[in-house]
Amino acid sequence: MNVLFLLVPLALLLAAAAVAAFGWAVRHGQFDDVETPALRVLLDDEDGRADAPLSPRSSSTL
Amino acid sequence: MAPGKSDIATGLLADARPEAAVFPLDDRTAPPRPAADAPCAHCGLPVGPHPVGEGPHFCCTGCAVVYEALHEAGLDGTFYRLRGLAREPRPARRPADDLRLAELDTDAFLAEHTRPAGDGTRRTDLFLDGVHCAACVWLAERLPFEMEGIYEARLDLPRARLTLRFDPAAVRLSDAARWLARFGYAAHPARQQPVARRTAEERRLLLRLGLCWALAGNVMLLAFAFYAGLDTAADGALATAARWTSFALSGIAVAVGGSVFFRRAWASLRLAARARRLDRLHMDTPIAIGILVGFGHSAWATVSGRGEVWFDSITVLIAALLTARWLQFRSRRLAGDATERLLALLPSMARRVRPDGTAEPVRLDDVRPGDLLEVPAGEVFPVDGVVADGFSTVNNAVLTGESRPEEVGPGAAVTAGATNLRSALRVRTAAAGDATRIGRLMAWIRSDDGRRAGVVLLADRLAGYFVGGVLVLALATALAWSILDPSRMAAHVVALLVISCPCALGMATPLAMAVAAGRAARQGLFIKSDAATQQLTAVDTVVLDKTGTLTEGHLDLVAFAGDAAALDLAAALEAHSNHPIAAAFAAARPAAAALPVEAVEAAAGQGLTGRVGERLVQVGRPSWVAREAPIPPALHHTLGTYATHGHTPVAVAVEGRVAAVLAFGDRLRADAPATLDRLRRAGCDVFLLSGDHDAVVRSVGAALDLAADRCLGEVMPEQKQAFVERLRAEGRTVAMVGDGVNDAAALRAADVGIAVEGGATPSLVAADVFMTREGLAPVAALFDGAGRVMRRIRWLLGFSLAYNLAGAAAAMLGLVTPLVAAVAMPVSSLAVVVGAALLHPFSPPPDAR
Repeated sequence: MNVLFLLVPLALLLAAAAVAAFGWAVRHGQFDDVETPALRVLLDDEDGRADAPLSPRSSSTL
Repeated sequence: MAPGKSDIATGLLADARPEAAVFPLDDRTAPPRPAADAPCAHCGLPVGPHPVGEGPHFCCTGCAVVYEALHEAGLDGTFYRLRGLAREPRPARRPADDLRLAELDTDAFLAEHTRPAGDGTRRTDLFLDGVHCAACVWLAERLPFEMEGIYEARLDLPRARLTLRFDPAAVRLSDAARWLARFGYAAHPARQQPVARRTAEERRLLLRLGLCWALAGNVMLLAFAFYAGLDTAADGALATAARWTSFALSGIAVAVGGSVFFRRAWASLRLAARARRLDRLHMDTPIAIGILVGFGHSAWATVSGRGEVWFDSITVLIAALLTARWLQFRSRRLAGDATERLLALLPSMARRVRPDGTAEPVRLDDVRPGDLLEVPAGEVFPVDGVVADGFSTVNNAVLTGESRPEEVGPGAAVTAGATNLRSALRVRTAAAGDATRIGRLMAWIRSDDGRRAGVVLLADRLAGYFVGGVLVLALATALAWSILDPSRMAAHVVALLVISCPCALGMATPLAMAVAAGRAARQGLFIKSDAATQQLTAVDTVVLDKTGTLTEGHLDLVAFAGDAAALDLAAALEAHSNHPIAAAFAAARPAAAALPVEAVEAAAGQGLTGRVGERLVQVGRPSWVAREAPIPPALHHTLGTYATHGHTPVAVAVEGRVAAVLAFGDRLRADAPATLDRLRRAGCDVFLLSGDHDAVVRSVGAALDLAADRCLGEVMPEQKQAFVERLRAEGRTVAMVGDGVNDAAALRAADVGIAVEGGATPSLVAADVFMTREGLAPVAALFDGAGRVMRRIRWLLGFSLAYNLAGAAAAMLGLVTPLVAAVAMPVSSLAVVVGAALLHPFSPPPDAR
């Protein structure tokens, strides 16, 4: 059972990473509006322009 | 706005039977042609000069076909209701005018409402009125492709907020707003601070929530090991490590999540101590006690290596309660955002006349008394002042509630908030900003007078007794076990305090209120606070404003006597005027506009003269018309009746003879009498209070079976407020329903202020509840719904109390172990969550049936 002394801290590290990711998402406004993105996926990403605001790459709002 | 409408229409047209759209035509009773700006029965756009269809009018054959298809299939009721729902949570629309847009380009706006976003670009938020679907999102976010200098556009649809990143050197924001306005979206600058603060607060709470659930999950996993048989004696090192890990994780949860409850519990304890009353404690106090005792005891057990640990129950408890709080916060967000959006509608710019006679847009903050301002027709006066130049009609309804427009000329006083109806005026500023009458009213509305501090939520009222009860039970347990088995006394007392920590009790109210607020918002009822919901059920007196709630709020032809043909002649003449009465004529006799008219002459404030076809026609005030043409005695008598009913009388003379008399008034809403009966049957005392003429108010009251002493006219805003305060002083719980600025103070003074959308912005801001559905029916729905919410809350509270009581009894008997608590607490919380989620308090609009 001594492997638990390694596994539990590892699991906690994993959880910490998840919390950090969640914190990043919250701080970048990913949860501020949960309705519009659902509609946005319906829109075509026409022109194929990389800087198209419809693509998730430029989704940082602050 | 109905983007994509024409696509659907043409698509359907191909295979639909066009004849289905043709309505039976009967020449003898051909209904009048609608005005060009009448809405299409399907899409709501103006029908234009060539409407399709005879009964309901449409803008195009496509709309007519769709309408007919829906109607034949019996699907129209639900379809138009659902489509209406999607649009409803959008507060008052006002077309974007150049003046409003000019503010977007000022340096002050750039400094106050935009923030740097790197590379010399700036970011700003705009409220965008009129967005409601995916097509709107697409259109608004096309902006960067259409305009140089705009790099990014993101629309937050539920909050109608557009975030732009732009280069101030390359593009003017007003041009972007103008581009949006071409598609029917009105952009208003968003006042940053309150929205940003609320967003930051919500994010912080969500962050805590996520962290607490992560901690709770891991502590629970460790706890499973103990429940599965991990034993301190058999496997010392592992068990001790697991306990210390749980201790560390729970410590973070208590510090991060629990602190929210500790702070509020401490505040409530101090309040209770100062008042020396136990019932001033609120629900956070027993929660904090439960968390502290459970955590403290478990910490001691960890350090000493003896006794039981409750870490998993404690962490789950904190996470669950934070969730309820966050849901409640989020459900309030719509109402809060809507308020901000309304504030953004208030005029912030004015046109100042320069010495050379040209006008320049300036910010309202820069206007000083003595400045000469220009106010074009259709705009709101930005300041209190005196007319320096020009003649016009002014609608003072916003301030006085008087729906009939007033004539003004040089020397007449005008007040900020009133609308200039007919032609441009120049106004010498007497007072600007907060010094204006409406400004003082708004300042009072914004000031927090703490009048709602007296409202204690039902759950919080229970909390004091709850704390007392738990302490007594703990004492009894300690006493009983000190006799039976002193070594187990401490463990059982702690078990009692942990199991009776009111998790379900604490969640019941916020959850039910959050669900109710969400459901209500979907029905067009925005409830701003929990206290308002609770107060609604206690209301015994309803004070109604006349306009907007009981009546339609605009002039209409309500009665006429004499020759009907004269009516058409008069309407033809009035088609050449822009007086408000002319609009009522156009609505009543739309076909008359086609008659040939010449030599129209207007006598300011009196009426019109002109030739319609061959005949000389005169329309106007009876006293003015009577100077040229005598009024027959029968009609003269009718005129007297009109006046006593408070209507505006108008006489029509044809070829020097008075042929007809008409009455214009504000028509009663169809749903008013029924709703009023419902309120009265529910035991409410109803008062009618209006700034309108006494005679008008009395006639409306009489039509509604209200006693004469219950109907008061010519009441000033300050008097309305005093009246409401007097009623409250009599010990009544007062709900005030109104829509004008003149109601704002009274709305604020009442226990519950209910504002009707479409009314003035300040009243919507001052109210506790505002409705986007017109008329009185939603008021009744609101009262019924609030009653249902409170009944459900009482039920949930009763259930949680019973659950806690059972838990406490088990703990006193020594039956509660950490495992029992870990199962019992989530089960009770789950029951409360389900009970709240199944709540459907607010009935849908009547046309759903």
